[in-house]
Amino acid sequence: MYTPHFARVLPLLAAALLLSACGRKDAADGTSTRPTAKSAATGPMAADLKATLDREKDFYVVKAAADLPANLKWENGSDLPEFADPNAKKGGTFNYFIQDFPRTLRVIGPDATGGIREYLWDYVEMYPAVEHPNVPGRVYPGFAKEWAADRATRTVYYRINENARWSDGRPVTTDDVVFTLYMLRSPHIREPWYNDFHTKTWEKVTVYDRHVYALTMKELRPDFVVRASQGFYLFPKHAMADFGPDYIEKYQWRVVPTLGAYTLHEADIDKGRSVTLSRVKDWWARDQKFWRGRYNPDRFRLTVIRDMEKVFESFVRGDLDYFPSNTMTVVPKYWYESLPDNHPDVAGGYIHKAKFFNQIPRPDWGLWINRSKPVLDEQEIRTGIQYASNFDRVANQFFRGDAVQMNTRSDGYSWRTHPSITARKFDPIKAREHFAKAGFTEQGPDGILRNARGQRLSFTITTYRPDIRDIMAILKSEATKAGLEFNLEVLDSTTGWKKVQEKGHEIALVALSRSPELFPRYWEMYHGSNAYADAYLGADGKPVERFADGKPNPSQKQPRVQTNNMTMTFIPELDRLIEAYDKADTLDEMKRLAAQIEEIIYKDAAWVPGWATLFYRTAYWRWVKWPEGFNVMLSRTALEYFLFSIDTEAREQTKAAKRRGETFPAQVKVFDQFKEK
Amino acid sequence: MALPFPRFRLNPLTAKKVRRFREIRRGYVSFIILITLIVLSFAAELLVNSRPLALRYEGRWYFPTYGAIHRGREFGLGYEYEANYRELKAKLAQEPGRGNFVLLPPVPYNPYENSYPQEFYKPRPPNLGERHLLGTDQLNRDVLARLVYGFRKALIFAGSFIVLTYLVGVSLGCAMGYFGGWLDLVGQRLIEIWSLVPFLFVVIIVASIVSAYGGMNLGWLLAIVVMFSWTGITYYMRTNTYREKARDYVHAAQVLGASTTRIIFVHVLPNVLSTIVTFAPFTVASAISALTALDFLGYGLPPPTPSWGELLRQGTANLNAPWIVASAFSALVTVLVLVTFIGEAVREAFDPKKFTTYR
Repeated sequence: MYTPHFARVLPLLAAALLLSACGRKDAADGTSTRPTAKSAATGPMAADLKATLDREKDFYVVKAAADLPANLKWENGSDLPEFADPNAKKGGTFNYFIQDFPRTLRVIGPDATGGIREYLWDYVEMYPAVEHPNVPGRVYPGFAKEWAADRATRTVYYRINENARWSDGRPVTTDDVVFTLYMLRSPHIREPWYNDFHTKTWEKVTVYDRHVYALTMKELRPDFVVRASQGFYLFPKHAMADFGPDYIEKYQWRVVPTLGAYTLHEADIDKGRSVTLSRVKDWWARDQKFWRGRYNPDRFRLTVIRDMEKVFESFVRGDLDYFPSNTMTVVPKYWYESLPDNHPDVAGGYIHKAKFFNQIPRPDWGLWINRSKPVLDEQEIRTGIQYASNFDRVANQFFRGDAVQMNTRSDGYSWRTHPSITARKFDPIKAREHFAKAGFTEQGPDGILRNARGQRLSFTITTYRPDIRDIMAILKSEATKAGLEFNLEVLDSTTGWKKVQEKGHEIALVALSRSPELFPRYWEMYHGSNAYADAYLGADGKPVERFADGKPNPSQKQPRVQTNNMTMTFIPELDRLIEAYDKADTLDEMKRLAAQIEEIIYKDAAWVPGWATLFYRTAYWRWVKWPEGFNVMLSRTALEYFLFSIDTEAREQTKAAKRRGETFPAQVKVFDQFKEK
Repeated sequence: MALPFPRFRLNPLTAKKVRRFREIRRGYVSFIILITLIVLSFAAELLVNSRPLALRYEGRWYFPTYGAIHRGREFGLGYEYEANYRELKAKLAQEPGRGNFVLLPPVPYNPYENSYPQEFYKPRPPNLGERHLLGTDQLNRDVLARLVYGFRKALIFAGSFIVLTYLVGVSLGCAMGYFGGWLDLVGQRLIEIWSLVPFLFVVIIVASIVSAYGGMNLGWLLAIVVMFSWTGITYYMRTNTYREKARDYVHAAQVLGASTTRIIFVHVLPNVLSTIVTFAPFTVASAISALTALDFLGYGLPPPTPSWGELLRQGTANLNAPWIVASAFSALVTVLVLVTFIGEAVREAFDPKKFTTYR
């Protein structure tokens, strides 16, 4: 007598449990396209490339080798210290996991981020020159042998290393550079961010011969050599003959040759289950300074495991060699309860634990208060919220003292922009004083403050990171002490991101991840033109002229969506400082302006500084070896710079010893050589 | 059974069915247990709560269980927010002889509060001395308190769910069966299409949109789940009504000039009621499962609302704290088993054929 209706609803719970527990088996559609034999010189891509180069002659400039300026000062970073261990053992297999089978093997375009891109590209691929992870602001050679900077013309000249080879053995030339720019500026990649970046950043590229090219930037910043080099990944022109409007589909499951140490062979893709990267045979940079001693394991196996608890169990069983440092860092229980120092495998010296203090711009976790919402537009209310948000408890009791509350927007940058600003500490009494100044004086029967009109002091906190729901619950329960109610809204990442980008939130508890840069960015998060579509504009007569006397633009009607100004800050004085900051070309000038910017941001109180962790920690089996000092200053995870190696003998020795019950000295190490003062 | 229709009273046949239900011991005992649990859960504030049952301070009596909060300042605790009564109890115990005392419920915790404000957040095992009978969860909240209040939420949800789905399903089903013709033809096709929508996925999608733009609460969640669940009962009501319509008593009522509404609700409905009654327990089970599943996946009620799905998720993410998942799982299984036993007994008691496989 069971009906379709009931049969459908009853096993829901089972379905839900299964959904969360099972791996995706349908991720790959089984189609695989092999690179065609079509020549890159004759295919449809070649024609479009030629047409583009002819059309954009001002951007793609071709000059003779003789035109290369003679007075250039070529550099090659040879004075910089090496950071890997040149004697690290090569060989072995490193066993690790991915949470989801990659939906594509492309490295750009839809679905490309996440998955295995980090190991196929971000951590592995080469730039012309790479920022030194222990000496920020300086670069060491990547695929370029040397470079020369000309500040007067905002140009960086590069000479490609003539030994540089793609993983299929073909040499790297300036053709690849030109193709890469053409590709990343093309709409076919369906990734507006790259289009925008490569349009806004470069004024032109100049090619002198097969190995020498120059990039001219639109803006001169103090670290412009780093900016011109870092992130400039190359694509192999000869393998991209099919590039065109159907790039996304054609290259969905195609591995293109790489300059980096690892590549993927088709036989090593077990769809839905695992992906195994292999070291490129006779990798061209293996003996080069700054690259030797890295990328040591022959194989890098990534098995799909969705659930973190299962990942942990696999690690403890020895199926995985290493436990992810980001999880170990932000979920305290793995460090303290699941794998305490007296855990038999740790005490027996089979599993080692390490805590490493890095120095990178911290993700800017915090409450982003939307100033355009009623009540929240009052500065006293925002200041009250600052005092009513107990991030101190989050740092000390949730993260067990392993996190700290941030102070400014620029914590973790290699220079502090402001010497004295500190976050307002939790203080319900001060919070109530500020709320009272805004008219919220009466405490209702529910313990929440009200104003004379009976309006309750209640706001909704939105997030698109379901993993921080516990932190939100803590903030909520603490805020009631100040007579403030927080309602919590935990959304999935897509819906939540959309809501915040459309400025539909009242308060958002989110963070933007920040790549290691010399100095913080303010324009994206604080410039008025990123808050309102009708702010400024001027010159062409549209909306309102910018005021010379600094009064606010009265036209604040159209919120500008899809920007990172999530506080909807629009303060003309601040905008002027940010514009000057973005034009400044010396670090001292930027520092002076940044201090003023931070003071205004502090006073305005629309961003409540959240927590930051000043280190990462991890656990790994004894056979995973690390260089002395463990890792580099700018590393965000222990794997990022591939400094580890696998000692296959130690693997056998450890497993045998464990069977026999023999132990090794326990190792729980702390590396604090880069700890922030 | 007191519906506002005069002729709707327990007729001898129904009384017989009820008697037969009471004779099926497994179902009847389950019914008694479940009713007890339901009644207890609605009195939860008196059993599991951080507010005291009674409090005497400086000669005055307070009964803070229900109603407005009392500030800490009122009891000399020196703060404006709600008094922490366990703290107050400890304080009063140090100054005896003034006639002040606090009488706390058996489990002195509410489902939202951090029981160890001075310590780290981490699950702690059951501790009878501190009256954490089922331990605490990862935010130091009492697991039993969260179970009890989560159960009540689930009951309110299931109760409203059953009323709403049957209201829609029964009305439409009866209408299609009674009127037949085009209404029946078109209605059936629409229902067929609607019932093919994959339930869980659509509910998740709608729930995530509602969360972002409406703010999720029990009412919205109910509306969404009901929207995709009412079709099942229409089939039965339609066929039953169709059959009853052809009987003499319906014709007699028509001849006497009774209105259509009267015929459907007063004459036909009581005769097809056994179907509804037999399905009801299973509907309750499905409603509780649906709510738990949605909460488990994170598309249910917003945090920090206590719910069984949320406890299950915490439990599966904290396998080193087995008391969380064990509590939530046992509670869920117990309630679903009780409901199923009741459902089986009801079905047997109301079965027109006396001999069934359930004997």
